[in-house]
Amino acid sequence: MAITVVKRNGQREPYDANKINIAIEEAAAGLDENITWVTQIASELELTLFDGITTQQLDEAVIQVALQNVKDDPAFDTVAARLLLKTIYKRVLGDYTDAADLKRLHKEHFATNVTRGVEEGLLDPRLTSMFDLDALAEHLEPAHDELLKYIGVVTLNNRYGIKGRNGDALEVPQYFWMRIAMGLSLNEANPNEAALKFYEKMSSLEYLAAGSTLVNAGTIYPQLANCFVMEMQDDMEHIAKTTRDVMWLTKGTGGIGLSVTKLRAQGSPIRSNNTTSTGPIPFMHTIDSILRAVSRGGKKFGALCFYMENWHMDFPEFLELRSNSGDPYRRTRTANTAVWISDEFMKRVQNDEPWYLFDPLEVADLNELYGKAFSERYNEYVAMAEAGEMHMFKKIGAREQFKSILISLQTTSHPWLTWKDTINNRALNNNTGTIHLSNLCTEITLPQDEDNVSVCNLASINLSRHLLPEGGVDFVKIAESARLAVRQLDNLIDITRSSVKEADFSNEQNRAVGLGVMGFTDIIEKLGYSYESEEAYDLIDEIMEHVSYAAIDASTELAKERGSYTNFEGSRWSEGLVPLDSIALTEADRGMEIKVNRKTRLDWDAMREKVKGGMRNATLMAIAPTASIGLVAGTTPGLDPQFSQIFSRSTSNGKFLEVNRNLVATLQEKGLWEQNREAILRSQGDVQNVAGIPDDIKAVFKTSFQLSPYAFLEVAARAQKWIDQAISRNMYLETRDLGDMMDIYFDAWSRGVKTTYYLHMKPRHQAEQSTVKVNKAEEISSTKAATASTSTSTAGAAPARRGFGGFAKKAE
Amino acid sequence: MGILGTGLQDGLLLKPIKYQWAMDLYDQAVANTWFPNEIQLGEDIADFKKMTDEERHAVTFLMSYFNPNELLVNKALAFGVYPYVSAAECSLYLAKQMWEEANHCMSFEYVLETFPIDREAAYNSHVDVPSMARKEEFEMKYIRRMTEQTLDINTIEGKQDFIRNLVAYNVVLEGIWFYSGFMVALSFRQRNLLRNFGSLMDWVVRDESLHLKFGINLILTVLEENPEIQTEEFADEIRQMILDAVEMEEAYNHDLLPGGILGLNANYINQYVKYLADRRLEELGFEPHYKVSNPAKWMATANDTLELVNFFESTNTSYEANASATTKAKAE
Repeated sequence: MAITVVKRNGQREPYDANKINIAIEEAAAGLDENITWVTQIASELELTLFDGITTQQLDEAVIQVALQNVKDDPAFDTVAARLLLKTIYKRVLGDYTDAADLKRLHKEHFATNVTRGVEEGLLDPRLTSMFDLDALAEHLEPAHDELLKYIGVVTLNNRYGIKGRNGDALEVPQYFWMRIAMGLSLNEANPNEAALKFYEKMSSLEYLAAGSTLVNAGTIYPQLANCFVMEMQDDMEHIAKTTRDVMWLTKGTGGIGLSVTKLRAQGSPIRSNNTTSTGPIPFMHTIDSILRAVSRGGKKFGALCFYMENWHMDFPEFLELRSNSGDPYRRTRTANTAVWISDEFMKRVQNDEPWYLFDPLEVADLNELYGKAFSERYNEYVAMAEAGEMHMFKKIGAREQFKSILISLQTTSHPWLTWKDTINNRALNNNTGTIHLSNLCTEITLPQDEDNVSVCNLASINLSRHLLPEGGVDFVKIAESARLAVRQLDNLIDITRSSVKEADFSNEQNRAVGLGVMGFTDIIEKLGYSYESEEAYDLIDEIMEHVSYAAIDASTELAKERGSYTNFEGSRWSEGLVPLDSIALTEADRGMEIKVNRKTRLDWDAMREKVKGGMRNATLMAIAPTASIGLVAGTTPGLDPQFSQIFSRSTSNGKFLEVNRNLVATLQEKGLWEQNREAILRSQGDVQNVAGIPDDIKAVFKTSFQLSPYAFLEVAARAQKWIDQAISRNMYLETRDLGDMMDIYFDAWSRGVKTTYYLHMKPRHQAEQSTVKVNKAEEISSTKAATASTSTSTAGAAPARRGFGGFAKKAE
Repeated sequence: MGILGTGLQDGLLLKPIKYQWAMDLYDQAVANTWFPNEIQLGEDIADFKKMTDEERHAVTFLMSYFNPNELLVNKALAFGVYPYVSAAECSLYLAKQMWEEANHCMSFEYVLETFPIDREAAYNSHVDVPSMARKEEFEMKYIRRMTEQTLDINTIEGKQDFIRNLVAYNVVLEGIWFYSGFMVALSFRQRNLLRNFGSLMDWVVRDESLHLKFGINLILTVLEENPEIQTEEFADEIRQMILDAVEMEEAYNHDLLPGGILGLNANYINQYVKYLADRRLEELGFEPHYKVSNPAKWMATANDTLELVNFFESTNTSYEANASATTKAKAE
């Protein structure tokens, strides 16, 4: 069949294999010469062709064919990324001949495209008035695009790049980085110089600003803050106001933490009309619907996490919010949930004591108290309840409730567990009120109240870009990245805008930022450490100490240059305290040891003196999940372990295969990759039972479900020593035993970990695999052999199954 | 007593369990419980509208086929399998499977309701489109033998009819025809289209994988327990059923994709069908017939690996429903 290709102008031309071959050859330049890139991709492409394919479809088809080979060699990902970049260059800049030509086009079109963005009302007019665009264009470096993996190019292009009003793509990746850098330099005395510094760091992926900043910086609507933290007050006006605020913040792509603890319980009296309340659940359902209504093109939804203290009368229903069955009006399918847990509760679990649920209307002060003061007041309410003095209460077992929480966590991955007393006792910004909740991703711990919607602004250092060529971590460069990131984050506060005045107020008064890291697992694999080793624990401890030291120091310097934050006086910073000092404070209040190593390496006494003199920011550190920007950086997110050595990732941009390049490189070095790759895919990325892989490699490359869950807690506890806010600590479990889960989550609290985040359970059953050899008759006989000794079943004694094998004629 | 029987009073009590594999499959099937409304399909409407005519035709065609055939599987189970299986653990599994087929039917109804698809045309296709009608008639033939004729499960011919029906609905319909359709359905997500439809299909595929495990186990168990039904002639007949099924599927796929869409055309799908058919032949103990490679290497991404979901953006389909069932309560 003769295949014709439909060109953009509608004309048809015969399919030209040579054109495609040249494109593939260019995209494979410099890669392993033992792979016949052109032959393989082109022959697989031909299987998929059909008459009348458009040139655009053809471009996409070549990329898809390259991608389907990533399972055999991750270098195909590089080919796909280059092919995709080429289509983006052509679309934005037009045709080019070679790298030099491409660089020239980058320079030539920059000012034009930025100006068009401004003229079309998409970009901030100050981008053209304050900056010397041609001078900036001189520094654009398209070679930095080589750092991006395929999923990174897709994410940048689909999510962050600006499009013209008519849908034209206006940005290549380097334009995007420069625009973000400019958008974060608008308050600088020398904006060109600052923008170049930020551009250099971000375009070389050394640190990245967080999602909302990447979406909105430099645009006409600079809602750059990532996290908003607020609570609903127990009155109708404020419920309505909160609903309105959620809508606006969602429109601006901010993630929201929302506490509903203060809302009176179902059945609680309402004086004004002499009826009773429906409780918080129906209002949560309303907010949940809003998240879907205010979505971006029906694709990216609002994101919010509800917080509730577990003494609330309606807490049992709170646990049902994410259940997949039941009354849909009492469910939140989009919003997440987290529980705000006190030391009192954990101690009652430990001692197997009763737990009392109350109506907030009767115990209004409980939500404002924490630590010892909470315990005392809670016990007074318990005594009142027992004396018959409470209108409404319920007595259950503390362990019974802890189990209910964990059952819900296992089956719906909600609610996330967060510890209010650890958070409040370890806070250095404790002079601005009680912290009532964390945020969407459980890494922010800021006080808020009716007049303050607290705001946090995030960035993350990519540790993978801070390794020394000779091995080891480049601590000098880490300090340099941390310092510049803090300046960039501090700028953001003066530039960002939201549509909620309480948020802008809180931002101005506190200037809270959260600098984190990503790529921890990537670097320990490169250094040859197991995630669950002492070397790994010491390394995260040392890295975070350096990040923390540099970030705090940068904030003290900024305070000298720009002044301290408004609420600095009275903070623990002003008393000369640093994050490490909060462990002892927490121990004293809890009356129990916090089980974490206290080693230090840097001169913290000098820093204690320095912080007393002034801080620019109420908070400085938080480790975010980096689920999206980690893709752009092409590294492992946050402190997450390797999910599996081969796995697929589902995002709003589709489903992508991820093969651990560190493992592949290690195996290729020993000539072991090709012979073992099918076995690794068959076992879904688990190398532990692949016979051909040496034990030392197996030890470094465990999957998330094979690592001890205590390793996740130890890494978090060691990092938490240095972090004034918190960590989005994702958890991964193979065990479904509730006793094990109780031990693990109890241990998190004992180690002074502030919060845990999403729980990934290992699925027990997967669909039949397609691309590896499967024979269920063989599987059945092998499981039978394995269980024969424990099973008394007579059917279990049957020999290996042959089906029709004994009777069928041999083929041919 | 073996796995086959007709005594109404057989299989009223569960313990002792004789066929542990059936019990394990039942437990897993219960843990896999899901509901179509957990997936927000509405988000895919924008994709559906921007797809090419041929792409929309392919989705509609698939729904037209899947929808009646999920319930056809139930008829095959109700008339041809459930009445003749004596072990309680097998009855439990079959009951759950039948609910799953019903749930799949509701899922495809949800797709028909959500996407701008002409329901009447979609409903009529399984009668109006000859290649689709032919596949259905193939199934009907074997179900009819279990119902309209007097079947005695204690005879060799009765047991062979039982196997014929099982091969027809389980190996052929679920194991080859559905599986080739799943590949086509999942291909859209690889191009970042119909992501939520893809999640729905993930769940359906997960269920169908268990159905296949059950079916293959049942066939092999019946063959083991009843060696007298195994003849060369019968083996040839079963093998030929699978080869005929491939031929029917080839014709059907040419109607599914008369031209082609990005990444797929009828020949490509048919190579996949042959690859699947060889796998089923081998599972039944036959030699492979077609010996072709799997053209759809991307199924490694779409289906073969653990999925890490960015849960703000996509539905996590890996969750299971029955945590409390595994409580050891060690902490007490």
